[in-house]
Amino acid sequence: MNSLKYLISFCLVLGLVVGFAQPIEEDYYQIVTIPVPEDILLEVGGMSTLPDGRIALSTRRGDVWVIENPYMANGAVPKFTLFASGLHESLGLAYYQNALYSAQRGELTKLQDTNGDGRADVYETVYAWPLSGHYHEYSYGPKIAQDGSMFVTTNVAFGEEEWWRGESRVPWRGWTLKISQDGEMTPWATGMRSPCGIGMIDGEFFYADNQGDWIGSGGIWHVEQGAFTGHPAGLKWSDEPNTPIEVNQETFYSTFDERRIRENGRAVKPVNIQNEENPLTMEKAQETFSEITLPAVWLPHAILGISNSEILKDETSGGFGPFSGQVFVGDQGQSKIMRVDLEKVDGKFQGVAFDFKENFQSGVLRMSFGKDGSLFVGETNRGWGSAGPANSGFERLVWTGKVPFEMKTVKAKPDGFEIEFTKPVDLESAKNPNNYTGQSFTYKYHSVYGSPVINNEPLKIKGVKVSEDGLKVRVVVENLRQYYVHEINTPGIKSMGGLPVLHPRAYYTLNSIPKGEKLLESELSKAPKTSAVKKTAPVKPKPQLSSRVAVLSDDEIKPLLQKNTCNACHKKNIKIVGPPFKEIAKRRYSNERMVELIYSPEPENWPNYATPMAPMPQVSKDEAMKIAAWINSLREED
Amino acid sequence: MKKVLGLYLTMIGSFSGISQDMTQLPLKDMSGFNNQAGNWQVVGEVMMDPTIDVHDHPEPTEKKKRKKNEAPPQAVSFTEGTGVLLNFPNENQKSNLVSTWTHGDIELELEVMLPKGSNSGLYLQGRYEVQLYDSWGVKTPKFSDIGGIYRNWESAPDKSYMGKAPLANPAKAPGLWQRLEISFRAPKFDDSGKKIANARIVKAYLNGVLIHDNIEIPLPTGGPVENNEVEEGPIMIQGDHGAVAIRNFKYKMMHDLNAELQDLAYEVYYQDFQTADQVINAAGPDLEGTSDQLTYEVVKRDNGFGLVYTGKLQVDEDAKYTFNLNFGGSARLKIDDEEIAEGWRSISGVKDLTKGEHDIEIIYYKTTSWIDANLGLTISSTNGLPKELNAFSSFPPNTSAVSPILIKADGDQPRLLRAFLDYGGDRGQRLTHTIGVGESSGLNYVYDLGSGNLACVWKGDFVNATPMWHDRGDGSFKPLGMIQYLYNGAPVEGKIISNGYKLDENGRPTFVYTRDGIEIRDKVYPDANDLKLIREVSSDTAIPTYKLIESSRIQRMDNGMYLIGDKAYYVELLSGQTPEIKNTGNKKALVISGSTTPIKYSITW
Repeated sequence: MNSLKYLISFCLVLGLVVGFAQPIEEDYYQIVTIPVPEDILLEVGGMSTLPDGRIALSTRRGDVWVIENPYMANGAVPKFTLFASGLHESLGLAYYQNALYSAQRGELTKLQDTNGDGRADVYETVYAWPLSGHYHEYSYGPKIAQDGSMFVTTNVAFGEEEWWRGESRVPWRGWTLKISQDGEMTPWATGMRSPCGIGMIDGEFFYADNQGDWIGSGGIWHVEQGAFTGHPAGLKWSDEPNTPIEVNQETFYSTFDERRIRENGRAVKPVNIQNEENPLTMEKAQETFSEITLPAVWLPHAILGISNSEILKDETSGGFGPFSGQVFVGDQGQSKIMRVDLEKVDGKFQGVAFDFKENFQSGVLRMSFGKDGSLFVGETNRGWGSAGPANSGFERLVWTGKVPFEMKTVKAKPDGFEIEFTKPVDLESAKNPNNYTGQSFTYKYHSVYGSPVINNEPLKIKGVKVSEDGLKVRVVVENLRQYYVHEINTPGIKSMGGLPVLHPRAYYTLNSIPKGEKLLESELSKAPKTSAVKKTAPVKPKPQLSSRVAVLSDDEIKPLLQKNTCNACHKKNIKIVGPPFKEIAKRRYSNERMVELIYSPEPENWPNYATPMAPMPQVSKDEAMKIAAWINSLREED
Repeated sequence: MKKVLGLYLTMIGSFSGISQDMTQLPLKDMSGFNNQAGNWQVVGEVMMDPTIDVHDHPEPTEKKKRKKNEAPPQAVSFTEGTGVLLNFPNENQKSNLVSTWTHGDIELELEVMLPKGSNSGLYLQGRYEVQLYDSWGVKTPKFSDIGGIYRNWESAPDKSYMGKAPLANPAKAPGLWQRLEISFRAPKFDDSGKKIANARIVKAYLNGVLIHDNIEIPLPTGGPVENNEVEEGPIMIQGDHGAVAIRNFKYKMMHDLNAELQDLAYEVYYQDFQTADQVINAAGPDLEGTSDQLTYEVVKRDNGFGLVYTGKLQVDEDAKYTFNLNFGGSARLKIDDEEIAEGWRSISGVKDLTKGEHDIEIIYYKTTSWIDANLGLTISSTNGLPKELNAFSSFPPNTSAVSPILIKADGDQPRLLRAFLDYGGDRGQRLTHTIGVGESSGLNYVYDLGSGNLACVWKGDFVNATPMWHDRGDGSFKPLGMIQYLYNGAPVEGKIISNGYKLDENGRPTFVYTRDGIEIRDKVYPDANDLKLIREVSSDTAIPTYKLIESSRIQRMDNGMYLIGDKAYYVELLSGQTPEIKNTGNKKALVISGSTTPIKYSITW
């Protein structure tokens, strides 16, 4: 009897603990792994929801599968039918008027089942483009415009000796092509480096690129005809007939140095110039070449992904939760999905990005909403590594019906931002300006792989104003900077029910500061006096020798790894995108050398890792030393 | 990436390097062989009609003696000359051909041509038979098919040997030259004459396809010169079963190399060195000692060290020696105070050494943390087999090979798969808009949608897709089996726009393209016997010129077929037009002009 009593009280305690636990993503959105027949490998390259509710997906292995009852209604296991096969590493799939369309490496193909047996019997070349045969010449799409014309995007190749340099060896590598149903191709835009992520939003074409040479960080771009989104390789073909691009490559490179360096007869890879004075940024380059199109939203590298993929608007009218009309962006390397809300300011798209859902089993490449409002996720990492350990996957993200406490959106205002929450805020926390922090920063525009965060500066928050319904907060910022990414962090904000914001960081790309009325000083709530913290002069860390850096514990180092985004790519013991910390420790770098490598990585030291590390000079010296000392402490002495 | 891809390249192709320093039989006359009954002779060019069974036409014809249309067609004809060894046995003359010279370990390669239905065999040491047989079209080869290691007919269990089938059947059609390459090790005996190692085929390739890999032959096979095993024996070519022609017979005698390292002493310095000289000039080793074996493992760190080995190299014959030193990092090798080489990860060099003792110095230094430490030294000589001089654990064999992704085409319908194809195995001739089509008959091809052409045909398994699908991949696959590249180019002039393909009820594709507005349809399928591929080109309009084939040589045969290249494959027109042989630069082309379609022809290889 006693034991039963104990059990009951134990359960009560457990219940209490659960009740008070911090909310997690899974409380609101749950991943369902779809059972796939054992002999089918779904390295998903393309995905489309068919009008009858089936899901069609194409794979790297060249197969197109049609999946019946992927919703597993009535507890059934989904049925897989092979619709087509033999495609060349398909990286896109779209349904249009009783046919499926897929970009293979070398062409856009129309797949038709003309005899009604459920298998394609016509593999029609809609349009073929040349290839040099380089492995990185991937082609993506199509996305279908309202008139039935199709957008396809194409990767650049890399140099032979200059393996770090994106190059367009044959026409239309690094381009967006618009192809009509009868096979007429219009070169639409260029500047693409690795345009795996594409999407139609309200009839407009958008694409996501990945960090790399000339691409400081991932982001999403609105691609209008004639846009040049940043990577200059494709400019090689801008003098061809019918291109909408004026600037040619020669003019571009004579204006902006591509840093082709040769030493001792060998090409030398350009590296980030530390403490560079007045570095070039995309907006500065745009002053010279007006065709340069800035990203509508930067997705800060390593925070909101490292290899952005599918762009998909939520048109489920609430079936997928409270973010209807917003945009989801996948990420391969971090195996997660981000959330973006766009607005038009001065006629151009800009907006805010948040984390949304992580922990997919492999790299998130493709997404498509099912008929029930759930989100199908097609996954692969194709040798690049991903936070999710599997090489491929087919999963489904289902809204549990509970509304998370989130920043639903952030809009730009003439004097700052307006945050809208999904639920009313706790007034006490929301009206305290100390509960909002942030910084603004931007990226370099250079031929080096990726850019560190530059010119970062804390946001000076003048005050806030909470709306009467408790759903909106105006945050007035003194030091808004046009074109910069503004990070807005809401660590202290609680919902009326006492919950913290599930994803408390927002990243707003402020390409334009809207005009209009600003809030009056008198309308703002100021920091409460009681919470005024007595400021003490920051303690300057004493210079220390390598051996004397105190080694932090795993628990102590964790926030530093998080804050500096190290753990986006590295884990202690296992390989994800980058090497495990334990492997790094084996290299016996001194702490000082390791800090140098944080600031100027040498990816050539890690030939078995596909994604090069970006320079991270934004990590403070003090923290970098602590991280280095901790990494070195993981070495098992010989 | 490059490193990983390198591993795939070994599936097809000859064992490169070994063919250096080979001796070629001149075949100017019958010298080098024992007397025989006269069924063997040296001739100039041999032609064999693949449609005529050799048993039906027991006499060969010397071509110049036969006037046109005078005699009935023969299975085998030849011209006078040298360079080709031809056997044509009859009831009275049917000797085996036995070499006057003997061999033990040997590398050899030759080309063989068999008429339809014929049978011969190559006996290594006169005792171990690699079968030569017209096995064209055999789907599941046995020990008795070409390339098979033949069985013997002993009944006692300890004397019986059942032979070994080849890994694949890369047999070509009768009348075509087939290339056989064998690396053979003779059985070994101790001083008392007791066998201590079986005879062994290290590698054997037929027509570029691996057929045996590291296979021991425990007993003599059927019909040896003598039913025993010895250190040295002659080459014997079977002459009593059927006609056979042989040319380009090359060989190199090999033997175990007796070389040893002795008196090894080492010094270890824990510093970062940039050159071997810095290691030599470093003061005060952190570790030193002597070692029975050459191994890097005396170093107790995995990076930031210099290691010096000194000692004696003992060799038991005067020869030109090749040294291969492999290591993670940098190293220098000196023999008798002469630098062989200094370099990064791998060095090699050659030095003439006399029999006896020589000084050896190896300096290994490493400052690159991402490379694993290892150190391996292999010595070989012109006729001496490579010998590892390091401890096993100092340079363990590469065990990181990738599990291959092999695609079969054994379903009810053909397997289609698009991929890049390196034409002729040459990355510089990569075709980017190509599709492989595999048939369950084992007759496969790659069609180039970019040029509307058939790029290659092959027989056997379908493709190895590892290069495309492993890791990031490079977008290409490799055909498996015995491949014949046709030509790299377009059969019609003008701009070609691919319209893709349609599948018929059997799942076979018809490729469609337009050339200057003319739609051309192209279909390839096996013949009724699953022996050859038939290509059918059709259009609603006449095609001005259509190039069937381009090659270095095109010969029209008496039977109307065309022999392409150096007797590499046949083309036979089935649709009635008369093609012309035209000169295109330094090549020949088989062209049909102004023809209505269809153009239908077979490819036999």
